[in-house]
Amino acid sequence: MEIAGIFKYLYEQLQATGLPQGWVDFISLVAACFMIFGFLALVVLFFVWWERKVSAHFQQRLGPMRTGWHGWFQTIADSIKLLTKEDITPNAVDRPVFYWAPIVGFAAAFAPYVVIPFAKGVIVSDLNIGILFVLAITTFTVISMLMAGWGSNNKYALLGGMRSAAQVVSYEVPMVVAVLSVIVFVGSLSMVDIVTAQAHIYEWFVFRAPFGPIAFVIYLIAATAETNRAPFDLPEAEQELVAGFNIEYSGMKWSVFFLAEYINLFTVSAIGATLFLGGWQGPFLPSWLWFLGKTLFLVFVFMWFRWTYPRLRVDHLMEFSWKVLLPVGFANLILAGLMKYSGWFNW
Amino acid sequence: MTTKKLHTEEFTVNMGPHHPSTHGVCRFKLTMDGEVIVKAEPVIGYLHRALEKICENRTYPQCIPVMDRFEYCTSMSCNMVFALAVEKLAKIEVPERAEYLRVIMLELNRIASHLIWYGTTCLDLGALTPFLYAFREREDILDLFEMTCGQRLTYNYIRIGGVSRDIPEPFLPKLRKFLDEFDARVDDYEALLNGNPIFITRNKEIGVMSKELALAYGVSGPALRASGVRHDLRRDDPYSIYDRFKFNIPVYHGGDCFDRYMVRMQEMRESAKIVRQALDQLPEGEISTRVSPAFKAKEGELYSRIENSRGEMGVYIKADGKEKKPYRVKMRGGSFNQLMVMPELVIGHKIADVVAIMASLDIIMPEVDR
Amino acid sequence: MKREKLVEYIQEKFGDRIELLESGAVEPIFLIKNKDDVFGFCKEIRDDLKLQVEFLCAITAVDNSDNFEVIYSVASVSKIHRFDFKVVLDHDNPEIDSVIEVWTGANWYEREIWELYGINVKNHPNLSRFLLPDDWNQGHPMRRDWDAPDFKRMPDL
Repeated sequence: MEIAGIFKYLYEQLQATGLPQGWVDFISLVAACFMIFGFLALVVLFFVWWERKVSAHFQQRLGPMRTGWHGWFQTIADSIKLLTKEDITPNAVDRPVFYWAPIVGFAAAFAPYVVIPFAKGVIVSDLNIGILFVLAITTFTVISMLMAGWGSNNKYALLGGMRSAAQVVSYEVPMVVAVLSVIVFVGSLSMVDIVTAQAHIYEWFVFRAPFGPIAFVIYLIAATAETNRAPFDLPEAEQELVAGFNIEYSGMKWSVFFLAEYINLFTVSAIGATLFLGGWQGPFLPSWLWFLGKTLFLVFVFMWFRWTYPRLRVDHLMEFSWKVLLPVGFANLILAGLMKYSGWFNW
Repeated sequence: MTTKKLHTEEFTVNMGPHHPSTHGVCRFKLTMDGEVIVKAEPVIGYLHRALEKICENRTYPQCIPVMDRFEYCTSMSCNMVFALAVEKLAKIEVPERAEYLRVIMLELNRIASHLIWYGTTCLDLGALTPFLYAFREREDILDLFEMTCGQRLTYNYIRIGGVSRDIPEPFLPKLRKFLDEFDARVDDYEALLNGNPIFITRNKEIGVMSKELALAYGVSGPALRASGVRHDLRRDDPYSIYDRFKFNIPVYHGGDCFDRYMVRMQEMRESAKIVRQALDQLPEGEISTRVSPAFKAKEGELYSRIENSRGEMGVYIKADGKEKKPYRVKMRGGSFNQLMVMPELVIGHKIADVVAIMASLDIIMPEVDR
Repeated sequence: MKREKLVEYIQEKFGDRIELLESGAVEPIFLIKNKDDVFGFCKEIRDDLKLQVEFLCAITAVDNSDNFEVIYSVASVSKIHRFDFKVVLDHDNPEIDSVIEVWTGANWYEREIWELYGINVKNHPNLSRFLLPDDWNQGHPMRRDWDAPDFKRMPDL
């Protein structure tokens, strides 16, 4: 049951109303934005509940059970609470910067969805610089962290913000190098091309040894650090000790940061699934189901990391990125290049 | 070309009394130079309840529940040290069965306390799951205690002259079941963390305490044994019937947080061993010598000590022979000395290490503040 | 060392400076006759090769109505023996030397006896508020004659 057909039908209906082509395109893009917005809102609602259940079951307890069947209503209850919470803004903050920081973060979280292939033929815009666009746009989250740290007018928030920014930027580099080793094989930056290059399960990049698994592992580690999740969540846990960048935020503004974090989680999992696990490719089941399944599997892996490992200290974190991941990533890239050039293992 | 040193300032950070990682209410004034700690000053007294003054105003049997609150994670040891001191002062004999029951309860309490230590250490380092696993084990032990004396935390069980109640019917089978599963569980905990590179980097070479420093500051218990000193009061100065049991004393020589972790993990196994041996040798008989609630101890003074899970726990009692109340009771806990040595250990480390060091020394505030 | 040998050795080494007391119920308690001798005594028992008392267990202060007593409980980890010694101080103006230079761990014990009993410890690097609140001005609470409006005694049994 392919969903590409539904969108095609809707588009044709819109064209049939007789509006000029420009208007048709504009309305369809706005509609696409709203659909993605709605889809991601549901995704976040689901993730917050799922994380609580997953962590509970790892810890031999049950998690939310009272609000609805197995607590499915819990996130909605939490959102209602957050919406009705008092929004405290300290007097001395730098107002424009303080207010815009969560919005920038939120926008940066949504932007990559322009090029993510949700199913066969379902993609907002198949840019021919697909993956490059994603990697560039996700860097905007750093700006939002710096804005939050600076705008809070609090030296500890600034320290925390700079530390988070340093972490995200340091782990961007190995991530890009890991992604590059996949691109070398595909020969194109377009996301759809990357998916079609993995037509059979033995062609999935995670199985194309030896460079594939190494790139996958580097990608997983770098992605965990990008989204500021454990074991790389010292900038957040630092709130206990010094401060994190979002210490002065409360109520709705804080929940926007929180939402952005979960959307980022979905983004990195979706990109991981597309690049390494074959995107929407798969037999028998409809393609959107494969995509969702692979993405949710990666999300589960990230959640598993969080509830198993202790936290890394900040200097260990940086050391690991620059002294371990990056050299391994470069060696892997060279290996991928050699494999492609020589036609070795190239099936 | 010469470069002038960049002007930097040291600043003070307060790791306040309300803090998830300070094991009770303890405040640290940390003077930092950038990321590195230059000076640390603990500020205590937030949990001072004047227990010593209270004891001067209670009869001897009434002091036992007060001692419970001295260190509520190992209440049995607190009861024990006081009861032992009074029994030595007044030369009271304790029946065999009571001695065995005491040992079983003390060692189970040691395991429970080490489980709290394990859970909170992992929690402080960011591994949130082992906390729940440790507390699952602890629930079994607390159920055993509840079925015997009705309490889960402050037991008031070990009384002067023996113990307060005999163990009920379901106690022994439940205890045997717990012991059968316990060793495998400790293996699980070690498998989770021992080889984990993150755990190792956060604990190795952190908070190194040399043997001389430890002895100068009066540090005792697992923290001392991790610095290379083979000193365990159950072996060196045996009290009660500890000389009848065979158990090892784990000693490591590095003196860092990781060694302290290893010592305590081994100690949990050794305690389980002692409980098994005690169960095999448990005789029938009386559980307490009859002691009048208004008894007056003969005139005298003594300092009696036992090996608690956090170090040496001691109580100094002065009795003046005329009153039913002790003239002076002084309580000594291991955490007091460990907190005293902490400022020496954190110098040169970062803030995140303060948390790791405090967790590995297993400091809890009721012992420090009384 | 066993108790008898220990008592003999200490009495022989320190002779007139100390006195063995009867009140020690289990371990021996010695009285140091001259309170200014405390520091010297502590240093000697730590450095003596047969005693090697490198572990200070506790420092306790007791308020008898006519004098103060400060009791040092010490132990040796390498030689495995333990004993106590005490010194008697004036009630009106109790003063004692600090033994921090002998055992660094005496630091907080001495701070505590200063704060709760009012015993002045000379040469202590940091005699400051410890267990009591920062704005405490109601005297030294552990003294026997200390009273406060809300301090109630338990009824006799």
